[in-house]
Amino acid sequence: MATHALAPATTAYRPGLYEWLTTTDHKKIGIMYVINSFLFFLIGGFFALGVRAELAAPGLQIFTNEHVYNEFFSIHATVMIFLFIIPMLAGLGNYAVPLMIGAPDMAFPRVNALSFWMLPLAGMLLLAGFLTQGGAAAAGWTSYPPLSEVGPTKSPGPGQDLWIVALTLIGTSSILGGINFLVTIFKMRAPGMTLFRMPIMVWTMLVTSVLVVMATPVLTSALVMLFIDRNYGGHFFDPTHGGIVVLYQNLFWFYSHPAVYVMVLPAMGVISEVLPVFSRKPLFGYKAFIFATAGIGALGFSVWAHHMFTTGSVFLPFFSLMTFLIAVPTGVKMFNWVATIFRGKLSFSTPFIFAIGFLTMFLIGGINGAFSAAVPVDFALHDTYFVVAHLHYVLFGGSVFGVFAGIYYWFPKMSGRMLDETLGKVHFVLMFVGFNLTFFPMHMLGLQGMPRRIADYASNAGWNDWNLLASIGGFIIGTSILPFIWNVFVSLRNGKIAGDDPWEGNTLEWATSSPPPPYNFDRLPEIRSERPVFDARHGRLTPHDEMGPA
Amino acid sequence: MTADARALTADPSAPLVLQEGHLARGISSPILGMLLFLTSEVMFFAGLFAAYFSTRAADQPWPPKQFDSILNPLSLILVATVILISSSFTCQFAVWSIRRGDRTGFIRNISVTFVLGIVFLLLQAYDYTLLFGEGMTLGSGPFGTTYFTLTGFHGAHVFGGVLMLGVILYRGMAGQFSSRHHDAVEAVSLYWHFVDIVWIVLFSVLYLL
Amino acid sequence: MSSTPRKRLAPEALIAAVVVILLAVLVPLVVYSGAGSSLFPPTAVTTQARDTRGLYDIVFGIAVAIFVAVEGLIIWSVIRYRRKAGDDELPPQTHGNTLIEIVWTLIPTVIVLYLFAISWNTLNTVDAVSSNPEIRVHAVAQQFAWKFEYLDANGKVVATQSEPSAAKGGGMAVPVGKSVLVTLDSPDVIHAFYVPKFLFKRDVVPGQTNRFQFTVDAGEATDGHPNIFGGQCAELCGTGHRTMLFNVIAMSPTDYDAWLKALIIQNNATPPPPPSGAPETTVTAQNTAFDKSSIDVPAGHPFVIDFKNMDIQPHDIDIRQSDKTTLIQDQPITDAGKESHYTYNPLQPGTYVFICSIHPTLMSGTLTVH
Repeated sequence: MATHALAPATTAYRPGLYEWLTTTDHKKIGIMYVINSFLFFLIGGFFALGVRAELAAPGLQIFTNEHVYNEFFSIHATVMIFLFIIPMLAGLGNYAVPLMIGAPDMAFPRVNALSFWMLPLAGMLLLAGFLTQGGAAAAGWTSYPPLSEVGPTKSPGPGQDLWIVALTLIGTSSILGGINFLVTIFKMRAPGMTLFRMPIMVWTMLVTSVLVVMATPVLTSALVMLFIDRNYGGHFFDPTHGGIVVLYQNLFWFYSHPAVYVMVLPAMGVISEVLPVFSRKPLFGYKAFIFATAGIGALGFSVWAHHMFTTGSVFLPFFSLMTFLIAVPTGVKMFNWVATIFRGKLSFSTPFIFAIGFLTMFLIGGINGAFSAAVPVDFALHDTYFVVAHLHYVLFGGSVFGVFAGIYYWFPKMSGRMLDETLGKVHFVLMFVGFNLTFFPMHMLGLQGMPRRIADYASNAGWNDWNLLASIGGFIIGTSILPFIWNVFVSLRNGKIAGDDPWEGNTLEWATSSPPPPYNFDRLPEIRSERPVFDARHGRLTPHDEMGPA
Repeated sequence: MTADARALTADPSAPLVLQEGHLARGISSPILGMLLFLTSEVMFFAGLFAAYFSTRAADQPWPPKQFDSILNPLSLILVATVILISSSFTCQFAVWSIRRGDRTGFIRNISVTFVLGIVFLLLQAYDYTLLFGEGMTLGSGPFGTTYFTLTGFHGAHVFGGVLMLGVILYRGMAGQFSSRHHDAVEAVSLYWHFVDIVWIVLFSVLYLL
Repeated sequence: MSSTPRKRLAPEALIAAVVVILLAVLVPLVVYSGAGSSLFPPTAVTTQARDTRGLYDIVFGIAVAIFVAVEGLIIWSVIRYRRKAGDDELPPQTHGNTLIEIVWTLIPTVIVLYLFAISWNTLNTVDAVSSNPEIRVHAVAQQFAWKFEYLDANGKVVATQSEPSAAKGGGMAVPVGKSVLVTLDSPDVIHAFYVPKFLFKRDVVPGQTNRFQFTVDAGEATDGHPNIFGGQCAELCGTGHRTMLFNVIAMSPTDYDAWLKALIIQNNATPPPPPSGAPETTVTAQNTAFDKSSIDVPAGHPFVIDFKNMDIQPHDIDIRQSDKTTLIQDQPITDAGKESHYTYNPLQPGTYVFICSIHPTLMSGTLTVH
C-alpha cells in the first residue's frame, strides 16, 4: 500500500466569496454546478406550476394572453433540460470523476471554470426574454420554424433570439466540459486503474461526453441557421424562398436525441454506484453494463427521426427498428440493476430509496416509449399528453430521482456532514407520490386525445378529472422540495459528522477525507478491481470472490 | 519528480504519472483536447454541409440562373486557396523546426504562416465585396445564404487560427518553446491543418461540384 | 452459500411473495376492466384505426407483462432482502452470470424484433395511399382555422368549406365506407391534422404536401344520422393553437352527395344585397392586422362592413362587448384573398369592439355607435 504523502496542503484559500468566484478546483466548481442547476430546477418548476395551475380546470383562468402561456411551457422545458438536468449531471460528474479515478483535478481546470460561469449568464439571457416587448421564446423548447421565424403571428420579438444565444452559450459550455471529461478520464487515472476498473459513473460520463462532443455542434449549426434566417435575411427554413422546413427538425433532433442520453446516462451512473454500495454486492454484469452503455450511445445517433414520424418525410421502418433495438441494451441495464439488489443485503438509506425510485419509474418510462416506437401507434400518440407522460417518466422518474440519489449520496463527501434521513424520506415519499399523481394521468389524457401545448381544453372532452389530478400532483411535487431545502440548510450546520466513508463505499472518493483536501488524496489504496475501497476494507488481494460462475 | 512519482505506487509496472497529464507514453492532454475540439468543429461544419446539400438538392437549378457562373474556381479564390494550402506547409515546417529545437526556423515559418493567413482573410473579404456587387448576399436566396454561411464560418475559424498563430509567434519569440515543450505549437498546427482541410472541402463543394 | 441452511421460509419471503402476487393479479385485473378503459385509445371508427388499435392492444399486453414481471422482481427484492440490523456479513458477491446475461439479452431482442415486424406490417396498411381514392379533400391549415376543399378526380376544386366547426354549420364531411384521400398544405407554419377517433395524425408542413387516406366504417352513419368526430391541430402553431378545432362529419353516401351539392350552391350563391341605405365601411386585413383601428356607425340601423382579406390567413369581423370576450354578433370566415360583405344588426349606442375571432389579440378595434 502506497504510504507516501504528497506535499502538505499549505495553500491558503482566498477569502470566502472571492475563492468561489475564482476557483478552478473541480470540487468547488462541481458544487457550484449543483447549486446553480438546483436554482434553475426551482425556476423551471415555477413555470411548470403555472402551466398546471392553468390546466387544472377548463377555461382560461390565469393566462388570458395565450402567448404568455406558450412562453411558460417553452421556457419550462428549456430551463429544465439545458439549465437543470444537463448541467446538474455535469456537476455531479465534475465533483465525482476526478476523485473516482484518483486524480487531483480535471485536465483543464480553468476551462472547467469557464464552462460553469457561462451557465448563469446564459440563464439570465434566456429569462431576459420575459422583459422584452414580445416576451420570451414561445415556440416550444423545440422552436420549430416557421413558427420560430419572424412574422406577426410567428416569433417576432427578441425573446426567440435570446433563446438562440442562450442555447449557443450553453452548448459551448457543454462541449468544453465534454472535452475536459474525456481528456481527464483518458489521461489522469491513477496507477492501476485500467479502463475496465473504472467506476460505472466514470464510464457513463465518458460515453456522455462523446455524445456531447459529437452531437451538440449539430444543434449549434441549426441555431446559427435559425439566427441567420431571423436576423440576416436567410431562408434556410423558409419554403417560400427555397428553404426546407423539415431540415431544422432533422438537425435539431440529431442533437436532441443523443441529448436525452446525455440527460440520463450519468444518472444511470449514479444508480450504478448507489445500488451496489447499499446492497453490499458488486454491480451485476459490470462489463456487460459498459458495453450496453456504449451501445446506447452509438445507437442513440441512429434514432433521431422517431421524433418526426408524423412529418411525412422520414424513412419510417429504419428509425422504428433502431428505436426498438435501443430497448435491448436499456433492458440489459435494468436487469443488471435488479440482479444487483437481488440476494443482496439492502440498507434503506435515502440514496438507495431514490435509486429504487429511479428503477421503478424509469421502467415505466421505457415501457411507454415502446408504444411510440410502433409507428402507427405513434401516429395516434405523437404530440399528445402521452408523450409528456413518457418524457417525464424517463427524465423525472429517471434522471431527477437519480440526481437526488447522487446528491444524498455525495453530500457527506462534499460537506463533511450527513443529511437527515427522516427529512430525506419525507422528501422521497412526497416527491414519489406527487410525481405519479402528476404524470400517470397524462397517459390517459394522451390516449383520449388531449394534444400538447394547449392553454385550455373543451370542458366536455372528458379531460377535466385527469387534469385536476395532474395539477394537484404538480403542487405536491412543489412541496416535496421544501423538506430537501430545509434538510440541506440544517445539515450543513448541525448534521452528523460524516467521516471519510459513511456509507462503506466501493470507490476511491471514499478513501479520502470529507470534504477532501484541495489536491484530493494524501494516499491511494491499491487499485486491483472496480471496487478499490471495498477491496481495501475487506483485505482482498483478488477482487473475485463470487459464489457462482463469473 | 520522476523518482517521487514512482514511489507513489507499490507496483513498479504501473504507468508513470508525471505532471500536467504527460504520461510517459501516449498523447499529451492539450493535444488530445485539441483533437477532441476539432472533432466537435467537424460536426459543426457537418451540420452546415447537411443544410447545404439538402437545400441544393431541393432547389434546382443550382446555381440559380442569376448567379449561374458567379462562383468561378479560376479566379481570385483560387489564389486564396493556394495561399491557404501553402500556409499549411509552412505551418508544418514550423512544427518540424521546433521539434528539432530550431527556434529561428520555427519563428520564421510561423511568421510566414501568420502572414499567409491574414492574406487569405483579406482576399476572402475582397471576394465578398465582389459578390455583394453582383447582388449575391446572405439574404439573396438559398444560394447566397448557404454560400456566405459556410464560407463565413470558415473565415471566422481562420480568424481564430490567425489569433492563435499570433500567440504562439509571440511566445516563440519570447523563447517559451523548446524541442521538449511545445504542446501549444502542435495543437495550433493541428487546428490550422483542420481549417485548411475544411477549406479544401468547401472550395471543392462550392466551386467545383 | 449462506452459512446456515434455512429450514422454513423467511417471513420476508412470504410478505414479498404476497405483495408480488397481488401486483401480478391486480394490475391486469384493473387494467383490463372497465376502470382501465382510459388506458386504451377511443373506439376506432376507420379501417386504418382498427388496425392501429389491434397493434396497440398487442403492445399493451406485452407492456403489462413486462411491467408486472420487472416491478415484481424489484418489489420482491426490496422486501425480501432487507438487511437485518447488526448483520454485517457480506451477501454472496455475485459479479455476473454469463448464461443469464445472454438469455436476458436475447429474449428482449426477439421481443422487440417481433414488435417491429408487426408494427411495420400495420404501418403498411395504415399509411397506404391508393392512386384511385373515391373522395379527395384538400385540407388547408392556417393560423388559426382549417379550410377544406373538395376536389374532383382531376384535382380541381369543386367546393370549399371555410368553416371548420360542425356546430357552426361547417366541418369536413365525408361519406362512410368510401376511401377518402386527404392532402395537407399550409401557407404559414407547421400544423397537424389530428382526429383522436381515427387514432391518427399527420403534420401539415409548409412547402410539402403530405397525404393520407382513410375509410370510415360503413356502420358509423346511416341516412339522416351523421356522426360527428372532433379534431384538433396537434402541432404548436402560435397563440391560437388551442382554438384550431375542426370536425369530421361522417355521413351516409346519399347524405354526403346532397351535402356536397348544397355546399356548391352555397359557394356560388350571390350574397343577399345589404339593406338599402346601410352605411358601409371598407376594412382590409393584411399582415395579421386590420387597416382601421376604429369605426363609427349610427345607432339603431343595420350597417355593412365591406371586408377585403388581402392576407394569407383567414379572418372574420365579429362584434363583441368592449370586454373583447362577450359575443354580440358572429360572422362567417373570409378566406385568404377573398372579400365579404358583412351585414350587422342594429346596435344600441355605446362602445363595442370589432374583432377577428381567429386572431383576437392582434386584430381588434373600437366600434363606436352614436
